[in-house]
Amino acid sequence: MTTLIEFLQINWLETLYKAWEHLYISLIAVLLGISVAIPLGIVLTRMKKGAGFVIGFVNIVQTFPSLAVLAFFIPFLGVGKLPAIVALFFYSVLPILRNTYTGIKGVNPNLLESGKGLGMTNWERIFLVELPLSLPVIMAGIRTSSVYLIGWATLASFIGGGGLGDYIFIGLNLYQPAYIIFGAVPVTLMAVLIDYLFAKIEQKVTPKGIKGIKETV
Amino acid sequence: MEVLQQLGTYYSQNSTYVLHEFYRHFLMSIYGVLFAGIIAIPLGILIAKYRKLSSWIFSITNVIQTIPALAMLAILMLVMGLGTNTVIVSLFLYSLLPVLRNTYVGIISIEHAYLESGKAMGMTKSQVLWMVELPLALSVIMAGLRTALVIAIGITAVGTFVGAGGLGDIIVRGTNATNGTAIILAGAIPTALMAVIADLALGFFEKLLSPVKSKNMPQLP
Amino acid sequence: MKSKITAKLWVLGIFIFLMLLSGCSLPGLSSSSEDTIKIGAQSMTESEIIANMISQLLERNTNYNTTVIKNLGSNFVQQKAMENGDVDIAATRYTGTDLTSVLGQKVEKNPETALKIVQEQFHKQYGYKFFDSYGFENTYAFTVTKKLAKENHYEKISDLKNDANNLNLGVDNAWLKREGDGYEGFVKAYRFEFGNTYPMQIGLVYDAVKNGKMDIVLAYSSDGRIKAYDLQLLEDDKNYFPPYDCAPVVNEKILKKYPEIEAQLKKLIGTITTEKMQELNYEVDGNLKEPSVVAKEFLQENHYFD
Repeated sequence: MTTLIEFLQINWLETLYKAWEHLYISLIAVLLGISVAIPLGIVLTRMKKGAGFVIGFVNIVQTFPSLAVLAFFIPFLGVGKLPAIVALFFYSVLPILRNTYTGIKGVNPNLLESGKGLGMTNWERIFLVELPLSLPVIMAGIRTSSVYLIGWATLASFIGGGGLGDYIFIGLNLYQPAYIIFGAVPVTLMAVLIDYLFAKIEQKVTPKGIKGIKETV
Repeated sequence: MEVLQQLGTYYSQNSTYVLHEFYRHFLMSIYGVLFAGIIAIPLGILIAKYRKLSSWIFSITNVIQTIPALAMLAILMLVMGLGTNTVIVSLFLYSLLPVLRNTYVGIISIEHAYLESGKAMGMTKSQVLWMVELPLALSVIMAGLRTALVIAIGITAVGTFVGAGGLGDIIVRGTNATNGTAIILAGAIPTALMAVIADLALGFFEKLLSPVKSKNMPQLP
Repeated sequence: MKSKITAKLWVLGIFIFLMLLSGCSLPGLSSSSEDTIKIGAQSMTESEIIANMISQLLERNTNYNTTVIKNLGSNFVQQKAMENGDVDIAATRYTGTDLTSVLGQKVEKNPETALKIVQEQFHKQYGYKFFDSYGFENTYAFTVTKKLAKENHYEKISDLKNDANNLNLGVDNAWLKREGDGYEGFVKAYRFEFGNTYPMQIGLVYDAVKNGKMDIVLAYSSDGRIKAYDLQLLEDDKNYFPPYDCAPVVNEKILKKYPEIEAQLKKLIGTITTEKMQELNYEVDGNLKEPSVVAKEFLQENHYFD
């Protein structure tokens, strides 16, 4: 155990930096994912026919192993933070897209009718009725996405993206348990923390009326 | 396209190797989920009966679920060494939550009417379990196994970093080589296919096992 | 409460089950059975090629069973794996690296001396036989494009001193932290640092420097792409890097248990030149062949199969 404490004494600043790098690439990817997936999800709910097909396609892509997706981008985007963010971005879109679509579709049609009855335009309906009501489901998608990304960002180091994965790979390559532990433990803590935080946000965002309904994951 | 040509060249030169790794990859994933099923299904039934236990068991498995795959594999490697068994144990741990949760939900969602009729016919608790509850919950449990298997196939790919072999080896080789795209695809495509086929196949069984859901009253024997 | 006890029994059961599982060998996955000779390959192409050569030689010419454990990250991981019994034969070990990282000794620049020391010490301290070299060496090589070298008159590493702050260096996942022959030692010897360092999978550095994504990379000298991409190696004028002659290392107990291993291994000793190794490496890295296929072709061409 002494070597672990020694490690921390020597490397604490670098560890913090790597943790920050890790968080950075994950959250940027999630933000990009949100900015694409939510509008896209709303568009899908307006489409009569193609939507089912798109969602089905999205479900299939979701089953692709992440290592494959990450590696796939290397020849096109090279190495570094940018390719890592792009690959992670693609991965973040799927849960958020699916949940936005399901959430909005799940809004009680009677409420939409009342909205129309009140003279709301399409845009007003989206922002005043549908989004607020589907917010918990969307939030669940964002939460899944974020936790997922923090996990897969560990692989980003493999393509020069940095982050705590660097430590895990160094640990595996040099057989230095200290590196493995200081890569694996912080990243796990980060994932658990984000999961917990987003769960709390999800609770806050659920309108009291529908607190009992189970989330779509 | 040049890449497709290279893909063809790769497969024709290395077909035995690819098949061998595909088989290995598949076996590891199946073993992991199988062992999880053996433990998680009974455990799920147990906590469906004794609800008080459910919260802490779910908390533990939830935490396990959030551990990033590479981190889990690396830590287990420190304890278990390199090789396929390390991957299988990781897969086992990751498969617990989906199977556990689905078994739990499957059992508690069974309408009381069925349980009551079972009791009324004089069935013992274990007869009710085997003849009423499990058959009705089977398709939901299948859904859990399906989720677990798809996740397992993805994680097994990362197993290449702990010396377990599998299709991940090909993907990583692709990132190291020059005409890498073709090799990466050569590894990635079978892995994705395996996951998609597993998803569809188990999905099919799921529908097959789903009890005839009628909107009318259930028919009692 | 009965249910709490049952639950605790379950958790205990899971734990025991995991422990048991970690030892046993499952059908279809042969890696951990007692009678299989485990050959360790480092996560480098040449290591995999040679490990496959050894595996195929043993399987063809004797009746031993073998399995190749791939993706070992470094010499040190191979050493640990051998000590744990996870690996019986290490296909490629490098004299310079083993001297510093495993034996913990000071860097030794003379190749013959280095080999002698590791051979003696491995036998004494571990009971391992460090064979003579296959005939090639694989050293760290600072590599740039010929264009950059010409523009800035880079011929040796010291020539980089004034520009180093502006250079982006691509390296493998471990060199920055290696002791003895890593970055720290380098900075002391050459007295400059690079502006930015980017660790990544070693295979990516060749394309990275060729495409200008990195200014300079620390390549492995036996990789076939250095020649194929017409890259320029910089001379190690301060002689910082030790020799890295490549040889197999085998646990002496295993040699006793399987007496034919030594004869088969000796067939490969001294038969692979650096050029040959670069060629074989290129077959994998550039021509889409898997190491097992390249190994087979090499053995067949040279009539190694009795």
